[in-house]
Amino acid sequence: MNPMGSIATLREWIRRLAGTIGGGRTDQDLQEELRFHLDLAAERAGRAASLEAGGLSQSVEALRDQRGLRWLHQLDRDLRYAVRMLAKNPGFSCVCIVSLAIGIGANCAVFSFADTLLLRPLAVPNPSGLLSVGLTGSSRDSLVASYREYVDIRDQSHSFDGLAAMTKSTAAFAADRGATPSLALGLLVSGNFFEIVGVEPQLGRSFRPEEDQVPGRDAVVILGYDFWSKQFGADPGVLGRRILLSGIAFTVVGVMPPGFTGLDQYVRYQYYAPIMMWPRLIADVNVRPLEAGDFRGVLIAGRLKDRVTRSQAQAELSAIAANLERAYPDTNRNRRIAVRTELQNRIAQNPPVATLLAMLAVLAVAVLGIACANVAGLLTSRAPMRAREIALRLAIGARRARVIQQLVTESLMLALIGAVVGLGLGLLAVTLFNRIQIPTDLPIVASFELDRRAVLVSVVVALTSALLFGLVPAIRSTRTDLTNVMKATDATGFGRRRYWGRGALVSGQVAVSLILLVVATFVYRGFERQLEKGPGFRTDHLLMMSLAPSQLHYSNARAQRFFEQLVASAKRVPGITSAALTRYVPMDGLPPTVAIVPEGFQFPAGRESATVVTSSIDEHFLDTIGVPILKGRGLRASDTADAPNVAVVNERLAERYWPAQDPVGKRFRVEKGPWVEIVGVAKTTKYGFVLEQPMEFVYFPFRQRPAQSMFLVVESIGEPSDLATPLRAIIRRVDADLPVTNVRTMDDLYRMRSVVVLNVVVTIIGAMGLMGLALALVGLYGLVSYSASRRTREIGIRMAIGADRSSVLLMVLRQGLVLAGAGVAVGLLASLAAGRALAIVFPGGAAGDGKVDLTAFVFVTATVFLITLVAAVVPASRASRISPSEALRHE
Amino acid sequence: MELRVRSIRMSNEQVQKTDILQGTLDLMVLQTLATMGPLHGYAIAARLEQVSSRLLQLNMGTLYPGLMRLEQRGFVRGKWGMTENNRRARFYEITAAGRRQLSAERAEWDRTVSIMTTLLNEIR
Repeated sequence: MNPMGSIATLREWIRRLAGTIGGGRTDQDLQEELRFHLDLAAERAGRAASLEAGGLSQSVEALRDQRGLRWLHQLDRDLRYAVRMLAKNPGFSCVCIVSLAIGIGANCAVFSFADTLLLRPLAVPNPSGLLSVGLTGSSRDSLVASYREYVDIRDQSHSFDGLAAMTKSTAAFAADRGATPSLALGLLVSGNFFEIVGVEPQLGRSFRPEEDQVPGRDAVVILGYDFWSKQFGADPGVLGRRILLSGIAFTVVGVMPPGFTGLDQYVRYQYYAPIMMWPRLIADVNVRPLEAGDFRGVLIAGRLKDRVTRSQAQAELSAIAANLERAYPDTNRNRRIAVRTELQNRIAQNPPVATLLAMLAVLAVAVLGIACANVAGLLTSRAPMRAREIALRLAIGARRARVIQQLVTESLMLALIGAVVGLGLGLLAVTLFNRIQIPTDLPIVASFELDRRAVLVSVVVALTSALLFGLVPAIRSTRTDLTNVMKATDATGFGRRRYWGRGALVSGQVAVSLILLVVATFVYRGFERQLEKGPGFRTDHLLMMSLAPSQLHYSNARAQRFFEQLVASAKRVPGITSAALTRYVPMDGLPPTVAIVPEGFQFPAGRESATVVTSSIDEHFLDTIGVPILKGRGLRASDTADAPNVAVVNERLAERYWPAQDPVGKRFRVEKGPWVEIVGVAKTTKYGFVLEQPMEFVYFPFRQRPAQSMFLVVESIGEPSDLATPLRAIIRRVDADLPVTNVRTMDDLYRMRSVVVLNVVVTIIGAMGLMGLALALVGLYGLVSYSASRRTREIGIRMAIGADRSSVLLMVLRQGLVLAGAGVAVGLLASLAAGRALAIVFPGGAAGDGKVDLTAFVFVTATVFLITLVAAVVPASRASRISPSEALRHE
Repeated sequence: MELRVRSIRMSNEQVQKTDILQGTLDLMVLQTLATMGPLHGYAIAARLEQVSSRLLQLNMGTLYPGLMRLEQRGFVRGKWGMTENNRRARFYEITAAGRRQLSAERAEWDRTVSIMTTLLNEIR
């Protein structure tokens, strides 16, 4: 068609769209024109001619079709009708909508959960084309490489349009000399990084090729957008300014656009610097990151060349791995090189999360399936009521497809309202997930949100479910034999097998929701008991802050002097009763681990050491957090690097390796290091999480086993958070360039890591149980009213020959009771088993002392049974109110 | 050219009539309006009937939706007016866009006809 024609067609459609909503000529206007035509035709040739010209009403109809858009007009009418139908049966509509909302909400919540943790693509152009390359075989299954390996892979491979290297780096940031330093997280990148990723700075420039050449020479930096806004008030004049990173002056050359997260879904990097600056920014002065072959801190990313497949690239990389193995036998033996997509990478890095999400997704789809089955059941149970209306429509000439269209529109309407309510449920779930916070000062964002993608998924789910639950009943109810329906109401008797199928589904739902509720109650009561008992150390009147002098390239000896000086001056601050140092604060993520070899302990074949959790502490730490020494002595200030190596272990470790012996004086080795003598035994407490199994723990004196960063923990007389300011002042006097991070009270940390997490878990299990129960109620209600509606005539006859209302009520109710009872019985048995399993998983958690919690059982079971009873009583009592004459007149 | 007409909507008549394509009707109407000036619907139908020696009898259900479509596309403009006998009628007038469309369609038609003629003569 010529362009003029297509513009004309567009104009026609716009006018027709306007015509649909009443913008065109009126019916009266159209009729007048046609009548004029007919008059003239009649004048000329009489009636025959006017017939030949076409009937008036048919022609008006044809004109109306041309005036507007036929299908849009029909849709409008169907929607109005659907709204009327739904408003006429508010009970039915509400039950359907709640059921669908649960199904859709569950899918929406699971999707936004999965999206945040796994699915959301990176904010770069063509994110799926960006691949990760690296060596496998390290402990955590992520792809890593040393810088030397990166250079070799980059130079030897030909499958990629360039490969970029990057590594995370933390530095003490200060806007200028004298400003209070803070901790900043950045990404050190190779010169081609921005080009390969496909995102350029929105302000300034990216790195020049020569800035990727000489180690340590070009101190230039590009700022992340969030960091730029927060630290520099989004001032464009920041370009050319000098900022301090770990005491080195860097020139700002650019600012990245908002939303750019590097190649990490959670981290909002605050700065980007050339990877050539790595040797000067790295904390450990003994590491030579650009030369060492086994310092694998580099991530590699790249895009394939056109017409190169991933398997071709993989083959080439395998060959390169073989080359590397030949060239560097000591560092690269048995090291494979792999290429992965971002999604594969995320799954490989955290397989439990992927498994959990897959399970949740299956669960959500199952919930949706049940919800749809329930609504389909409800629609079918209403079919006899609408059979006459549909038969009438078909009899006066509606096409079957048109009637199905009308019925499906009603289902769509239900589904869309369900989707809106479901999105509300999803929003609640997301708010709940977001209550879990990660206690860190670093710019790590794992916020769950109900974004466009989640809304889109929900709408698609809703539309699909509308077809699922709406189409089958619609097709079935329009297939009716016209004459039969017009004559009598009751269709033929209903299939016994179908009924039992639905019955089993409903019983199953009751059973599952019972199990979930019992488990939720168990877990809740268990958690409550556990929280009452506490973690085994004090959480009140404690303030902590993290310090990493190694970032300023302190030597170990200087760091030790710094910490000793710090503790001494902290103790002099009024309001502080005690100050201590530790590498790891309990509940702050997972504790570090160390491999030990206890003297005289016979390991099973194949194992040579035991991995235990550890911390390096000073002589005051255990006292300060209230962990008692049970045997021997605590650590002392005299346990210095020159003194004999000593350690304090916890009771659990002592019992495991020296059962029924005095552990004091026993020795162990750290891997192949020197012997360490155990001088004391401390009480076992919780370390990483309140519900953990008791762990084997070893405390080293920090002077003998120094750490990169330490926490200062102080005990206060009054409100601990008041001490932050005087402590910061002390640290500033000692070294003004040292950033102070993770300043928080022990109470806050404990609440974030334990109480909130536990509450969220309990709420999720409980909410799932309640939603399951709601679905089961809908199912039961639908099934009982379906069978009651099928038996209207039978009920009428029974009442006519003398049955009273209560016997009819019981008759209908019995069915519901059998189903609910069966469900409760099955659920009870299963939750007994689940209770046992829980008692094993959380010893002393679920049921206190390993016994089954009877209160939970009795309470939950009775409640569930009563509620299901109500769902059956409502339709049963309606059936019993049928007046016999009416029921029989239905004939 | 022997044409068989069946109207889109009604008319069970067995009279031989032309089966007109939508585009053809547009072309005929536009051409009529271009040569005769503003006309009402009946006059257009009468003119086409006369020109085709009664072979082409337009049904109301075809003609008026066709006119409405042309109007929606901006090729004709409809206005209520008075006939010579002082009766109210809706007159249709070709627009500038309509004239452009007419010449384009006409060129297209000529091309089609010449292709068809060549082709049919070849087969014979």
